[in-house]
Amino acid sequence: MYQYNEFDRNFVNQRVAHYRDQTERYLQGDLSEEEFLQLRLRNGLYVQRLAPMLRVAIPYGTLSSQQLRALASISNDFDRGYGHLSTRQNMQFNWPALEDVPDILQALADVDMHAIQTSGSCIRNVTTDQFAGAAADEDIDPRPFCELLRQWSTSHPEFEWLPRKFKIAVTGATFDRAAIGVHDIGIRINGSSEQPENALVDIYAGGGLGRTPVLGALIREQLPVKHLLTYTEAIMRVYNRYGRRDNKYKARIKILVRALTAEGFKAQVDEEWAAINHEQGAVPAAELSRLSAFFAPPSFAELDNAGELLGTQRLENPAFNRWMKHNVHPHRVRGYSVVTLSTKTTGMPPGDVSSDQMDAVASWADSYGFGEIRISHEQNFVLPHIPQDKLYGLWQQADAVGLGHFNAGLISDMICCPGGDYCSLANAKSLPVAEAIQRRFADYDYQHDLGNLDLNISGCMNACGHHHVGHIGILGVDKKGEEFYQISLGGHAGHSGESPRLGQIVGPSVAREEVCDVIEKVIQVYLEHRFVGETFLSCFNRIGILPFKESIYAKAA
Amino acid sequence: MPRLLKKIHGDWQICDVAEISWKTQEEWRAGSALQVSVDAEPAPGWLDASSIAIEFPAMTDGRGLSLAVLLRNRLGYSGELVARGSVHQDIAHFLARCGFDVIELPDEERLETALRWIDPHTGYYQPSVISRESALNNAS
Ligand code: HEM
Ligand code: SF4
Repeated sequence: MYQYNEFDRNFVNQRVAHYRDQTERYLQGDLSEEEFLQLRLRNGLYVQRLAPMLRVAIPYGTLSSQQLRALASISNDFDRGYGHLSTRQNMQFNWPALEDVPDILQALADVDMHAIQTSGSCIRNVTTDQFAGAAADEDIDPRPFCELLRQWSTSHPEFEWLPRKFKIAVTGATFDRAAIGVHDIGIRINGSSEQPENALVDIYAGGGLGRTPVLGALIREQLPVKHLLTYTEAIMRVYNRYGRRDNKYKARIKILVRALTAEGFKAQVDEEWAAINHEQGAVPAAELSRLSAFFAPPSFAELDNAGELLGTQRLENPAFNRWMKHNVHPHRVRGYSVVTLSTKTTGMPPGDVSSDQMDAVASWADSYGFGEIRISHEQNFVLPHIPQDKLYGLWQQADAVGLGHFNAGLISDMICCPGGDYCSLANAKSLPVAEAIQRRFADYDYQHDLGNLDLNISGCMNACGHHHVGHIGILGVDKKGEEFYQISLGGHAGHSGESPRLGQIVGPSVAREEVCDVIEKVIQVYLEHRFVGETFLSCFNRIGILPFKESIYAKAA
Repeated sequence: MPRLLKKIHGDWQICDVAEISWKTQEEWRAGSALQVSVDAEPAPGWLDASSIAIEFPAMTDGRGLSLAVLLRNRLGYSGELVARGSVHQDIAHFLARCGFDVIELPDEERLETALRWIDPHTGYYQPSVISRESALNNAS
């Protein structure tokens, strides 16, 4: 992973000093609430329903064991002993005191971390494939390019005060696990990690969820990667100058792209790019090699696949067998596997992890996996490089602390926002709905039979829970002061290999008590109509929404 | 006399200055001081201004930053560039790196804060209007 040098360390330390001074001036009354709001947001500090919330950047979801231990002690020293994995691969603390935040930021800086630009109308943490550098379907490791973008966008003098927040996602694999189609900028890198300077990039712009969900448009194909920063600069400048600032619901880049049309927007960006001295601004090949070297594969041992051993272990232990089936993914190197540690245990809010769990994950990363940890946008931990003969031991330890659930990719592995329990913008609670669904569909054989099924829940149309791209999406709405839920079907984020698509709303919203029944009806329709081996999504694509509508809204006989 | 933050021979200072009579784009002619809004489109004629001010409608309005970059890098304007209006002391360092060399602030305390934090880092990740150096170029 990327290692800070003196420059990076100075930078984050100086950022902490600046923010400490801003906090002190606010507490002395020299900065108004309004002024301080803008400054604290750019350091990840929100003030929420119950308390402040601090969002810590985990650049492109990659974390060392030492960093995860530091997060665990921060959660003990300054919070209530837990943290929350977010859908943008960050970690959030829900109860820090505003006065303590400079000290928390210093504790982060001490392990080469920060909370810079994790909120506010600026370029946010760049996200990517949680299996980067390990996945069997990867062409090129996206992380060096993410780090390039992270550095370039950090305190960029021109782009810190945009019309609205700005999210960039990058992928380099066949299956897009980074959901690049629903980001302000989505980047697909083509090439090989051996020659990063020869990579070519496809750039999508104008995607996003929220109250107006839009899929990004492909505005540039096969751009030589040395131009990645100048082309991004051109996009940012057009957006910064012409994006709407009069209405925050119309301020995302997607609205600008739509107003200009994708062709019109592209023409404007290309014109701006032509005017930039893009040879002077090109990323030197030496810089790309320097960054890529940080992400060179760890020193993998020469191992054989442990098929026989695993076969025996799986036969002996059905619970391990289930976990192997769903939570262990193919690695690019023989004898290794990628492991998802699910946080979606019934009764726990999706993505919440205790400090003990963080410490445990860090120690497994050290014992088995080169000290490397990832956070997925599905709000789970990932250990990217586990030798296959260690899987059984790892699973036993994980299971003992509530991280050994078999459900990765299944219906109970839902994405869910904090909703009405924590969030002041919510129309409805989301956590109790998630829990009720997990309880209803707890049976393993049933879940396994359903196969991969993305169920995503948001407590309001801001769409933090990505409901638009769930195979089943659930959205909290307010109906005359009461909490209702709108169901949509057939969305997907792109990780199945197809291009992403937004779900279709199935009909009038339903009360909380009815949600589980409705989901069950949806699943019944699927089970009745599917061909052998047909996934929920393919089945939906074939039969359309009508049979689902008919079943859900059939008049009681 | 109004006091403001000004970069003189590369050094930022708080100083007294003579009041300038700013003209809007409509009233303005060559040799006088031009004040533009953040959504103005830069025109080559502006090179004849005695001074250019960009007026910020809100502290969060980043359009003035892009406009300043275009004036400096695209138009090649090298004269005085003034940030006016809803300018905030904690954004002064961004203004400085986008090529402003005069920053107006309403009171002495804000001027002092802005001066204290006009260059909060010993180095930056990206090149800017005022420096070609960056972490990215250092590698090569
Ligand atoms: C706790 C209080 C929270 C508040 C007040 C909040 C607020 C918002 C708002 C207003 C938006 C919509 C922005 C827009 O469309 O322009 C948004 C989007 C989003 N939020 Fe949150 N959020 C909260 C928590 C979270 C959490 C905990 C997560 C991660 C699990 C999260 C992940 C996201 C994501 C991924 C989006 C992106 C949707 C998009 O692309 O538009 N948020 N949030
Ligand atoms: S989707 Fe709505 S309710 Fe859920 S966290 Fe985001 S803003 Fe809050």
